[in-house]
Amino acid sequence: MSLSRRTWGLAALAPLVFFAPTLAGGSGAVYSAAVLIAIFAVMAYGLDMIVSDLGEVSLAHTVFFAVGAYTTALLSTRAGAGGWTTLAASIGMALLFAALIGLVTLRLREFVFSLVTYAIAVVAATLAQNWSFLGGSDGVRGIPMLVLELPSVVLQAKNDRELWPFAFALLIITLYLIDRFRHSRLGSAAVMTHLNSRLAIMSGIDPQRVRLQVFLASAPITAAAGWLYAYQRAYVSADILDSYFLILMLTAVVLPGRRILLGPLFATVLVLSQEKFLSLGGYADKIILGSVLIVVLAFFPKGLAGLWDWVVKRRR
Amino acid sequence: MNLTQQLINGLVLGHAFALVAIGWTVLLGVARLVNFGHGQMYMLGAFMTWWAISGLGLPYPVAIAVAMGVGAAVGLVLQRIMLQATLEQNLVSIMIMTLGVGYVLHGAAALIFGSTGQILDTPLSTTDITLGESFLTYQEAAIVIVTIVVFIVLELTLERTRVGRLVRMVAEDPKLAELAGVNVRNVYLGVFAFEGAAVALAAAMVGPRTPILTSMGFDEVIMTFVVVVLGGIGSVYGSYFAGLALGLFTAFFGALISPAYTTAAAFLVLIAVLVLRPGGLATRAR
Repeated sequence: MSLSRRTWGLAALAPLVFFAPTLAGGSGAVYSAAVLIAIFAVMAYGLDMIVSDLGEVSLAHTVFFAVGAYTTALLSTRAGAGGWTTLAASIGMALLFAALIGLVTLRLREFVFSLVTYAIAVVAATLAQNWSFLGGSDGVRGIPMLVLELPSVVLQAKNDRELWPFAFALLIITLYLIDRFRHSRLGSAAVMTHLNSRLAIMSGIDPQRVRLQVFLASAPITAAAGWLYAYQRAYVSADILDSYFLILMLTAVVLPGRRILLGPLFATVLVLSQEKFLSLGGYADKIILGSVLIVVLAFFPKGLAGLWDWVVKRRR
Repeated sequence: MNLTQQLINGLVLGHAFALVAIGWTVLLGVARLVNFGHGQMYMLGAFMTWWAISGLGLPYPVAIAVAMGVGAAVGLVLQRIMLQATLEQNLVSIMIMTLGVGYVLHGAAALIFGSTGQILDTPLSTTDITLGESFLTYQEAAIVIVTIVVFIVLELTLERTRVGRLVRMVAEDPKLAELAGVNVRNVYLGVFAFEGAAVALAAAMVGPRTPILTSMGFDEVIMTFVVVVLGGIGSVYGSYFAGLALGLFTAFFGALISPAYTTAAAFLVLIAVLVLRPGGLATRAR
């Protein structure tokens, strides 16, 4: 498919997605699920750049999500900051954290890199539970509704129905950024470093520099999801660093198959629909989500896309 | 601060860390595998011991055997699922799969055992040994003894027996070992069964020191990382001494600064070691 046809196809799909909650009945629960799907998909797209393009497993992306949410919660409740300020601060803080984590882990490879990023996430959870500045185990409550001031209008969202356009816009912007990244010089350098680092070095690519840049590019995306999540939930506590978010992100990235633009969104729709409308209870849902992750990797390493190819070949 | 007491605490804690980490040390040294479900396997071991004692009324030593049996079975199943990825050395898949396994184990344990905390009491944990002004429980003394025995037996097994030689061959070069007629798959399965049994033993021994919860396991994983990396990846002796060092550090940090941030402090030590010496402290990894 040529680039322009693909872009047109996506543009045609967008209104359909925007009106999907209305078509699905338009109840509060549907809008709430739609907003969460958009938020979690955006969260997963940040990790997607690291896992699919760079070929490393960062387990610290829950920290970027939490950084966005906590920055938003603290600034909006203690300094009365509006939506633009909290968004800018969330992105800024995520860049700071990504630079720190990125520099520390720059020379670490494969599993040592993952171990350290995992440790960062666990330590962040202990900090969030114990540090009174972050509200300790109570967290930060009373986050005001999202207000975005534009030159001529003031946009605000009191509930999930009104939050949906914001979540949808964030999702579209993210998809655009991911697509641009994959067609950028940095994107191809990342894939090259991943697939053949010696060849990459021979073509003048500095793998460590590429890794750091991709890390810096991915963190604000996940943090922006945390920003909107803080407004959606109206409170933020240490459970935002729960392994649920990590497993959800990884499933969203792995389930569809790597480097498929709409893949993580599609996977998030599947997982959240099960949890919101076909739930078997919290712990059973954990078993389902974890098992999906294991089964896909063990038996369909190319994800649903690989499964689809297999079915198509069989039918011929 | 009672210095002797902190020294005792540190030594007990250190042996506990070394024992919890031993399965992973072998896993990493032999198969270059990681197991992010390690902490949840520890949790499962503690709950199996608790259930065997208070549910089935079994004596403590039999309960340990039950927990180790279940642990080994979980290890075998896990490795059977991951065998293809292991043979391909597909670390990305293995890491994510073991994370998924930890998540499933947490969900399953919470469904079966409930999400409230339990106390794992053993005949040894309720009686104290007094040393002047300091004391430790018989359970804590047992942790030290069991850890030392396990490390000696493991070292002897790896160095002196046929099984140990096969395991070392696979560790050295899996492809060459396969050409030499070693059944590499069975070695991988065995190593994972050992990891499961060892972490269950550790849980049965160390679990009684604190209340047990199905949500626990994360701190154990971090401490295991630190022990494995500090000891030199895959080194058996190294991880024993790294465990001791970490135990003493944790005990004194907890007593002097803050018990809430011991995991965070241990993690900072890990970062410092990794940045200064990316290969860990031991020069030769087995």
